[in-house]
Amino acid sequence: MSLLELQALLPQLILVLGGTLVLVAGAWVRNCRLWLLTGMGLALIAALVAGTVEPPVTEIAGMFSTSFYARFCTVAWALLIAATLLLSSRYADLYRYGGGEYASLLLFAAAGMGLLSAATSFLGLFLALEAFTLVLYILIAFNRTDNRGAEAGLKYLVFGAVATAFIAFAIALIYSATGTLHIAEALSGLQHHAGLRPLGLAGWALLLVAIGFKISLVPFHFWTPDVYQGAPAPISGVMATAAKGAVLTALLPLLAGLGPSVATINQILWVLSIVTMLVGTFSALVQTNLKRMLAYSSVTHMGYLLIALLVGGAAGGQALLFYLVVYSFATFGAFGVVTSWALEDDEVQDYDDLQGLGYLHPRRSSALALFLLSLAGIPPLAGFFGKFGIFYAALQHGYLELAIIGVSASLISLYYYLRPVIVLFMQERNARQLRSGAGSEYLLLSACCAAILFLGVYPGPLLELIARLLP
Amino acid sequence: MNFPLLSLLLWLPVGGVLLCLLFRKSPESCRLLALATNLLVLALGVVIVFTIDPGSSGWLLYEDYPWIDTFGIRYTLGMDGISLLLVLLTAFLQVIAVLISWQTERHPAFFFALILLLGTAINGVFLALDLVLFYLFWELMLIPMFALIGVWGLERRVYAAVKFFFFTLAGSLLMLLAMISLYLLHGEQTGVYTFALEALKQTDLSLTQELLFFAAFMAAFAVKVPLFPFHVWLPDAHEQAPVAGSVDLAGMVLKTGVYGMIRFAFPLFPRAAEQSLPLLAVLALIGLFYGAMVAYRQTDIKRLVAYSSVSHLGFVILGLAAWNQTAWEGSVLLMVNHGVTSGALFVILALIRQRTDSNDINSLGGLWQSQPNLSAFFLLFSFASLGLPGLANFAGEILILIGTFSSQPVWASIAVIGVLLAAIYMLRLVQGVIWGPCCEPFDKQDLLGREWLILVPLAVLVIFLGCYPQPLLDSLSGPVTLLLQGGRP
Repeated sequence: MSLLELQALLPQLILVLGGTLVLVAGAWVRNCRLWLLTGMGLALIAALVAGTVEPPVTEIAGMFSTSFYARFCTVAWALLIAATLLLSSRYADLYRYGGGEYASLLLFAAAGMGLLSAATSFLGLFLALEAFTLVLYILIAFNRTDNRGAEAGLKYLVFGAVATAFIAFAIALIYSATGTLHIAEALSGLQHHAGLRPLGLAGWALLLVAIGFKISLVPFHFWTPDVYQGAPAPISGVMATAAKGAVLTALLPLLAGLGPSVATINQILWVLSIVTMLVGTFSALVQTNLKRMLAYSSVTHMGYLLIALLVGGAAGGQALLFYLVVYSFATFGAFGVVTSWALEDDEVQDYDDLQGLGYLHPRRSSALALFLLSLAGIPPLAGFFGKFGIFYAALQHGYLELAIIGVSASLISLYYYLRPVIVLFMQERNARQLRSGAGSEYLLLSACCAAILFLGVYPGPLLELIARLLP
Repeated sequence: MNFPLLSLLLWLPVGGVLLCLLFRKSPESCRLLALATNLLVLALGVVIVFTIDPGSSGWLLYEDYPWIDTFGIRYTLGMDGISLLLVLLTAFLQVIAVLISWQTERHPAFFFALILLLGTAINGVFLALDLVLFYLFWELMLIPMFALIGVWGLERRVYAAVKFFFFTLAGSLLMLLAMISLYLLHGEQTGVYTFALEALKQTDLSLTQELLFFAAFMAAFAVKVPLFPFHVWLPDAHEQAPVAGSVDLAGMVLKTGVYGMIRFAFPLFPRAAEQSLPLLAVLALIGLFYGAMVAYRQTDIKRLVAYSSVSHLGFVILGLAAWNQTAWEGSVLLMVNHGVTSGALFVILALIRQRTDSNDINSLGGLWQSQPNLSAFFLLFSFASLGLPGLANFAGEILILIGTFSSQPVWASIAVIGVLLAAIYMLRLVQGVIWGPCCEPFDKQDLLGREWLILVPLAVLVIFLGCYPQPLLDSLSGPVTLLLQGGRP
């Protein structure tokens, strides 16, 4: 690896080395807030470097790309991790997170996710994916006294290990078929040698299973509600947004390079998309716990994103990225509200505990309502243009049935998105007074609200940026 | 016109919303803010009436800016005679809605903010000429209305609010799909991807496509009107809604459905519209009779008036289905008239409820003995509602009947009976509430100063619209002709 390549890797190096530093130094200076702020600073610097410094090479060690797309993803995940660190400051106090472990783990996760979106080699893909999944195993069970957290961590570990095995085997199959780990070469190899198709397709099938686990597609979604419920709220936020986003952004160029055999994969995606939308929607209907509902909602949204993935090309890619951004703002914001409402012993997440809370904590409740309505796709919130883009892409490429199912699903989804709003604002007061929010939490929530309103009214700039990202 | 008068008119209430949220600690200032904002909008509307010539052809006011280039969405607003009347109606009823909710005690800041937001959404619907912009405003109506019913309503408010939300959203999502498909078809044909109404009218569609798209658009509009059999959300919404919600709902929200038909559905898909006219007329007639008969059976006075809306809107749709100048003029006129009379009736019902704490016709009665002034107004508005000549609804109804008779004498003959039914249920309402034995001795005062302030303008308007609808017809006839020809204003 040359010096130039190292220079191109600078954002990730900042994250990883900074994370290590925080971890080591955190062993002596047990001041959690200090390390959260340091971590946030490091993540912001990494984002800044990734966003502004033009990388001198196009590919690092034949494993990671330095394209505009990859850099954009790095910036996005670094910013999201910075936001998580900012959000966690009081939460970390509440649950006595000690030294720098929490911050450093999140920094490692940011590096892993950035690398995953940039992967150009199956090896890089595997390493990056495992890098941040490993971190998440720990973070999910970070609340040591919380049994549900431990259960969630274990659950995710078991499912994750299976997924890892699948992905490793998939890569082995594809490698044995083509003799290369470089994604573009392997894909074109699969295209040109018809005899390799069965092996390649078997590899792809296994890969899809693994990815299905990671982004919780039906029928690989069973871990999702339990893990989201058990994990600390900020971590659930990261898992629902950045962790899934990183996998999807890695998958997008992968599918684009597939050539004609994409038709076979598309059939599977078509089925997965429908099943995911429907099962996610109907499972969410019966939830009475905010975090579980958000988990199923994220399953449903993955179904919508699959439509965009299926459409492919520039139209599908743009719809996918725009939707991902919009969805991430709303979902992260919703978990942010849950974080902000956390009590010392437990998080407030059951609807029974939320009754009438809207009038005790109007600002955070309104923000939550806004996020949920955006997820439901009600204009003039950003979620509307997200769904608009997806349905537009679907209709443009003749997937009328997917558009209709998607529309029906979003109509039904309205019921479970409205329910918390009704509980918060339209029922007699039953809730306890919670803590008033910290400044950092308000800062973050208002940023999410502003983004959702702005993108809902004026999505033009983001759409243009995304159009530049995709060749 | 360089000054963006329409945008100002449209976005002024949003400024009021922000100020209301800013001063949420002081109910008094919120009320005044809401009132001032709505008065300002009304004043702007009146200024527009006097600065432009409502009879002139073409758009009276027009604004067009690029908005989201990627999808070819533009920020296009246009006002013709019909929009002008509906915007004025909205502005007027908004003032009434604020005044009648003056004493809202639960979270007044949010209440008035939502009322203001609703005003923007409704005016946006009446002004937007880009399909996506229209859709945004169309959906923007949902959230304030949902919250108004759900938070400030009566006992079964959540049920009514959710029902309202689902019915209306189900229709509009179909419309959204049709819009995108139409846009794609138009783009494929011409290479120009745009959501502009004028451009999309030129799209070549097969009859099947037209019928499908028309059905999808009508699904959205018919729910809002509400046309039989899509009306089931309305009585619940009206019964549970707070007064201001009912006034806005009956006065304005229902009109957006009719407006959507004449501005979007019919001109975009003229052949499909033509084919579906008989069906539309049948549904309208069923709605007319069904609404009237169910209204007669109601014991809850708010539900009674709600069903009367179903009946009246059936009349409006019948006029549209007759598809000629006179009937259409009558329909639009009746829309405005019904907005005023039903708004007035809901105001009266709210005043009665404030005094008696009851909506049940069986526990009311003898109101005239203790509240002669209130009862007199009630009588006036009821007569207007049942179509007494010289009062508001009459002019619209007679035009619809004349117009319909000239092209479809059978429909018109049936509809006349509907007018009779209106008299029956309205008189039952009046009889049950005003006359009869006094159920409980009222010690409450007759009309207060503020209430006079609400009722007198309404009464003046009801009489004015009944006696001299000519200015409205002048402003209507041009746009109606153009819409009927499917041409551009």
